[in-house]
Formats: sequence, C-alpha cells, structure tokens
Amino acid sequence: MNRIYTSLILVFALIVIWTIYLTNVKQDNSLTIRYYTIEELVSKESSLSTRVKVGGLIKPNSISINAEDQLEVSFYVYQGNDSLKVYYYGIRPDLFKDDAEVVVAGSFNDNLIVATELQTKCASRYEGDLKNIEKI
Amino acid sequence: MISQIGSLALSISGGLILSTFFFLFYYSIKKNKIFLDISERGLIAVCFCVILATLCLLNELLISNFNLQYVSQYTSYETPLFFKVTALWAGQAGSLLFWTFIMSIYSLIYINVSLRKMYELKFWSYIMLSFIFGFFLLLSNFVANPFEPVSSDIIVQNGNGLNPLLQNVTMAIHPPTLYLGFIGTTILFVMALSALISRSLTFEWIQSIRRWSLIVWTFLSAGIILGGYWAYNELGWGGYWAWDPVENSSLMPWLILTAFIHSSMIQEKRGMLKSWNILLAASTFLLVILGTFITRSGIVSSVHSFTAENLGPLFLGFLTSLILFTVYWFFKRFDLLKSDKKIDSFSSREGGFLYNNLILLLMCFIVLWGTLFPILSEAWNGEKIYVGATYFNQLNVPIGLVLLFLMGIGPLLSWKNTSNSKLLSNFKIPMIVSFVSGIIYSLFFGPFQLYPLVTCMGIAFTATSISNEFRKSYKKSKNKDKSIGSAFASMMLNNRHKNGGYIVHIGITLLFVGFIGRAFEVEKEFNLSPGEEIYFANYIFKLNSIKSEARDNHYAFISDMDVIDQSNNLITSLYPEKRIYFYWNPDPEKRQPHSELDIYSTMRKDIYSIFSAYDAEKNQGYFKIMINPLVNWVWIGGIVMVIGSLFAFWPSKRRDYGVV
Repeated sequence: MNRIYTSLILVFALIVIWTIYLTNVKQDNSLTIRYYTIEELVSKESSLSTRVKVGGLIKPNSISINAEDQLEVSFYVYQGNDSLKVYYYGIRPDLFKDDAEVVVAGSFNDNLIVATELQTKCASRYEGDLKNIEKI
Repeated sequence: MISQIGSLALSISGGLILSTFFFLFYYSIKKNKIFLDISERGLIAVCFCVILATLCLLNELLISNFNLQYVSQYTSYETPLFFKVTALWAGQAGSLLFWTFIMSIYSLIYINVSLRKMYELKFWSYIMLSFIFGFFLLLSNFVANPFEPVSSDIIVQNGNGLNPLLQNVTMAIHPPTLYLGFIGTTILFVMALSALISRSLTFEWIQSIRRWSLIVWTFLSAGIILGGYWAYNELGWGGYWAWDPVENSSLMPWLILTAFIHSSMIQEKRGMLKSWNILLAASTFLLVILGTFITRSGIVSSVHSFTAENLGPLFLGFLTSLILFTVYWFFKRFDLLKSDKKIDSFSSREGGFLYNNLILLLMCFIVLWGTLFPILSEAWNGEKIYVGATYFNQLNVPIGLVLLFLMGIGPLLSWKNTSNSKLLSNFKIPMIVSFVSGIIYSLFFGPFQLYPLVTCMGIAFTATSISNEFRKSYKKSKNKDKSIGSAFASMMLNNRHKNGGYIVHIGITLLFVGFIGRAFEVEKEFNLSPGEEIYFANYIFKLNSIKSEARDNHYAFISDMDVIDQSNNLITSLYPEKRIYFYWNPDPEKRQPHSELDIYSTMRKDIYSIFSAYDAEKNQGYFKIMINPLVNWVWIGGIVMVIGSLFAFWPSKRRDYGVV
C-alpha cells in the first residue's frame, strides 16, 4: 500500500467515525430527533426532555383555530384508539384538514405537543383512491 | 381496444424476456453465434413492445378512458391536455411503465450503437439487461399494471384529476429529466460489469462508458436542479433543498457518478484505478435502486413517498441480488484489475482526482447514513431516530467547501508530479485574489460569519484558477491564429472535453454563490387587512386589496401587495394567491386549497410571498414573506453546468478525449 492511499483511507475512516459519533453517541437535540408512535407517548410518558417527532392522522372535527389569530391552531392526532393534543403556531400546509396524514415535531409536556414543525404527507403525488370518484 | 393492445404488448414483452433467457442459456452451451443474435432480436422486440404499451397508455390518458383505474385516478375531463400527458408518470403504475420505456430507448441505443463496436460485451450485457427488464416487466404485469380496469360494478363519470401542485411546467419536465438520469445508470452498470466479466476493459470501452456517464450526469444534474426549482417556486416553504429522503436518493448517485467521471480520467490517461472505477460505475445504479426502494417502500417517512402499493420487498430483493452479483464478479475478476503503476505524489493531478473522489464519497456516505439512520437505529435498538437538516449541513458544508477549493487546486497540478517551485508560482495569483476578496467581503458585507466568508474566498480562488487556465490556452491558440475571434473559437473547440469540464466547474462555483445566500435568509409571518402595512427587513409591505375570482379549474383569492423601500420608492407589487381547487365539489372535504406564490426575483435577492389564509369575516389575509438572497445564482449555476457538460459531450473531430 502506498502512502497516498493509506492517508486517504485514514481521512475517510476518521470522518466516518466522526459521523457515527455525532449521531449515535453525542446526545445532540439539534441533530437527531426520535420518532414516537402516539401509543408510545400516551402509554409511557407524560413529559420528555428531548424533542419528539410523531406521525398520525388529524382527528376529524378536532381542529380549532383561534378566531383572533388564525395562525394559532390546536388539534388532535390519532392512530388507532390513541390520540394526542397538538398546539401549533404558524402557517399551516395547504393539505391540513381532517384525516390528513401529518408529521409533527416539537416538545412534549403534560401530554401536549407544542409543535415547531408541521408537515402534511403526500406533496408530490395525488394518491387518492376510487372512493373519491363520483359513482352512479 | 387500445388498452387491450397495450396490456397485450406488456404480456408479450414478459414472454419475450423469458425466451431471451432461454436462448442466452443455449448460446452459453452451444457457443453458436446464431443464438446470441436471436436473443439480441428478442431484446430489441421487448423494447419495441414496451414503447408500444407506453404509447397505448398515453392514448388512453388523452382520450380520458376512465374505464382504466390509472386514467381515472390521475386525470379528469378538466385536466388540461398537457397535464394529461404528464399524468403518464404521476402515479406508481404509470411511472414504472415510463421507467421501462426510457430503459427501452437507452437499451436500443446501447445495443445498436455501443455494442456494435464492442462485440465481446454482448453476451453478458444481454443477460443483465434481460434480468433488469424482467424485474420491471414483472412489476408492470403483475403488481402495478397501468392497464388495470376499474372494478366492473362502478361506472366512472369523471376522474380524480391531477394534483394542482403537479400542474406546473417544471413539474412536467423534472421527473422525465431525472428519470433519464436515473435509468441511464442501468447502462453504466451493465457496461461496467459485462466488461469486467468478459475481461475486456479496453480503451474503446473506457471512452464509450465515459460518454455514457456524461449523458447520464447531464440529465441527473438537470433533474436535480429542476426539482429544486419546482420546490422553490411551487411548494412555498421558501427553499430548494430540504435533505428529504427523496432528494437524498437523487443526490447520492449524482455524487458517485461525479466521482466516476473524475477517476475514470485517470484510467483513461494512465491505466490506473480500474477496480475502483468498476465499483463506482456499478454503485451509481445500485444507489438508484436503493433510492427507489426508499421512496417506494414508505420505510422512511418522507413528505413525498408513494404509499399506495408496497413495492418495498420486491425492490429490496432486486437490490440484494444486484449487489451479490456485483460483489461476486468483482472478487472473481480481481486479478484483472490490478495495475502496476502507482500514484506517488500528493501534489499530482492524479492525487487531485483522488482527493475529489474522497470528498464525493464522504458526502455520499454522510447522506446515505443520514437517510438510512431511522432504519438503522430502529434495527439497532428499536428506537426510530431521524436526523435533521442540521446534521446534513453540519457535516456536508465544510466538506463541500473543501471540494470548492479543490476545483481550483486541480488545474494547478500537473500529471505525475508537480515541482514545488511550479506549485508556488501556480498558487500565487489565486491565493492573492482569494485573500483580497475575503478582505473585501469582510469589510463590506459584515457581520462576520465563517462559512460565507470561506465560501466567498473559495469562489474567488477557483474562479481565478479556472480563468487562468482559459487564459493560458487562449494565449497558445493566439500564437497560431491572428484574429481574436478565431483564436478564441479554436481554443474552445480544440479541447472540448477539458473546456466543457471547466465550464461545469464554473457552474458549480456559481451554485456556491447561491448557497452563500442561505446564511442570510429572513422571514416573517403576519396578517393584514387591505389598506394596512407592515415594516420588515427594510421594506414596507402594503396590502392594497384582496380580490376573488372564479377561474376555469379553481377559485382564487388574489392579494395585491406593494413593496416599498426605505426611500419610499415602489420596488414591486406582489400578487400571491390562495386558490381552491375542486371548489365546485359540494363536499368541502374534497376541495383542495393551494397557495400560489409570487416571487420578486433579482440577482441580489428574492422577495418571496405566500398568501396562506384568508379570513372572510374580518377581510384579513395571512401572509408569509421571505427575503432570500442570491437564489437566482443557483439556477444560473445549474444552467451553466448543463451547458458545460453538453459542450464536453459534443464529439470533436480530433480524438482528444484524454487530455484533461
């Protein structure tokens, strides 16, 4: 093995190790965020020190928008029988409505998620099924 | 009727693949050339059947035959003609057929042009092509058949229609462009492995695979940039790149392909790194299939993944078999790949290409690790952990900056070895220019931020170094020619490969200009009633009115907002809209709101406006404004990149491919 290859491989290995360290060992909330199912959050904890990411569907008729400031909203996400309350302040995605699939990220305190990110699924495809088609 | 023909063509092509396999097997026993010829005809027939099937589906989309599930799902009578065509790749089944369609066109070119000169690659190329075609035809015939009729108990009056987000010209060009890039890697894979297996890594081969890699690279780059352009102009979150799994899976093959284009030059010039190049060429395709697996399996939550049918396990199986195949032959033919020459000097052109490979590979690893991290961590201890944009930026930004400088350092190095005195004289001017621009930047564009400063210095360094290269070759041709014009023309045309490469590098430098802007973005969300105004980022935003209007396929609320600068000059008027598609639908659930942005765009900055909600009772609009500096340079850089690679690809009369 000659010098140049050895040093290149060494640099590569070092940065790979650094990457793995950053994601696996160092507890850095700005880098990693754990994904929970609603069931996990509801049954196990009521508060968490780290930021969380949760996915689910918006519970029908649970969206309540502040009449004074329309950017303020609270709603429930559900999955199966479990549901959680979410508070969010900001512009909502266009597809935000009842039963839309959402992913929220934020802090979790007293069974309330204060979301800083709110995404609705399916931005680039229109995966409707035949239930949406008018029938005779 | 037409749909039956299409469906039949798909089944026939499946049958043809089986018979091709049979004849190839027969050829491997009897060694009679006639069987190889028959399987070649078989493959060509498969390609034509797939093209026929695609044309049939296109026809059904155009005449709105809602008896087909696919047609009724993605189009309606109201869908404009142009978007009926683009619906061909809007959904799972159609996009898979479209994939096979493009693969057919590439294969026809590969079989009839490239393989004409490389007879010895035929057998293994046909085996691999048949296998890959076989997989996709299996999907189209049995799993996601676009000719599937709607169930017989319902009659569909009108289709669903295409998602308004996709009713956009960029979104119509972006997927086919990206597909042309993705699918082109198939040829690279087939070419690399068939040459390896048949032991014919000839000079002819490396030239041919380099030409293919340039085509693929051009489409891939254009596709990625167009995707960013669409996201920026249509999705309304104000950025063009979000490190989403889908974006990442298009970036990874691009990084590896870029590495291949550079390191294959060493092979072309000096016959080294053969094994490495084979691995890179094969990996681009493997990464494309991995990316397809990620996006179509729903295994990683992404804002735009397919969810309807789960093709994950099938793609995983396909990917695994491809990897095993590659690894098996790689080790079996390892003796072939050894080279007796060595790279000795750190300061040589070869060394420069190796550093480039190291950087691109590292970036690819970081992106791959981040994209797969949720899966890996879940397998490791059951916790699904996502990494955010911060992770990607924290690691990739410094590495990307090294790459930026490297683009300037590369041309300053000579092949084999660069003497220290030459190194010093070569580096002098770019270094000085770089430092001067760093100082100017710090003086005039404070406050201090490390990355923008270093990026600015890198851009200056690389731009100087590349223009110095142009200056030198201009001088050379000036000695021969007399007029300035003809000297310039002959300089550019004489060494297209090299000059094209430098143009691409200038394009990438311009991209970095755009990236600097990201450090200075600001945004604000607020609500206004007509007549009110708000002050933000040295501008006054004054809302004049909100009008409403019923249009052909949607209902629109149109705001009219003036942007006034500090000295009270009107900069522009913005008209962001809130649209409701399917507004005639009595069920409010089925109506779909959509924010149509308005962007005031200049070379220095974009003023990006979103009309996010309208409160009819109070007559009040909710807006988001972003000031995004330098975004236009990203698009300009993208265009320059594509022009450069087309320039490099264009065949020149002289055989001077290996001079870079």
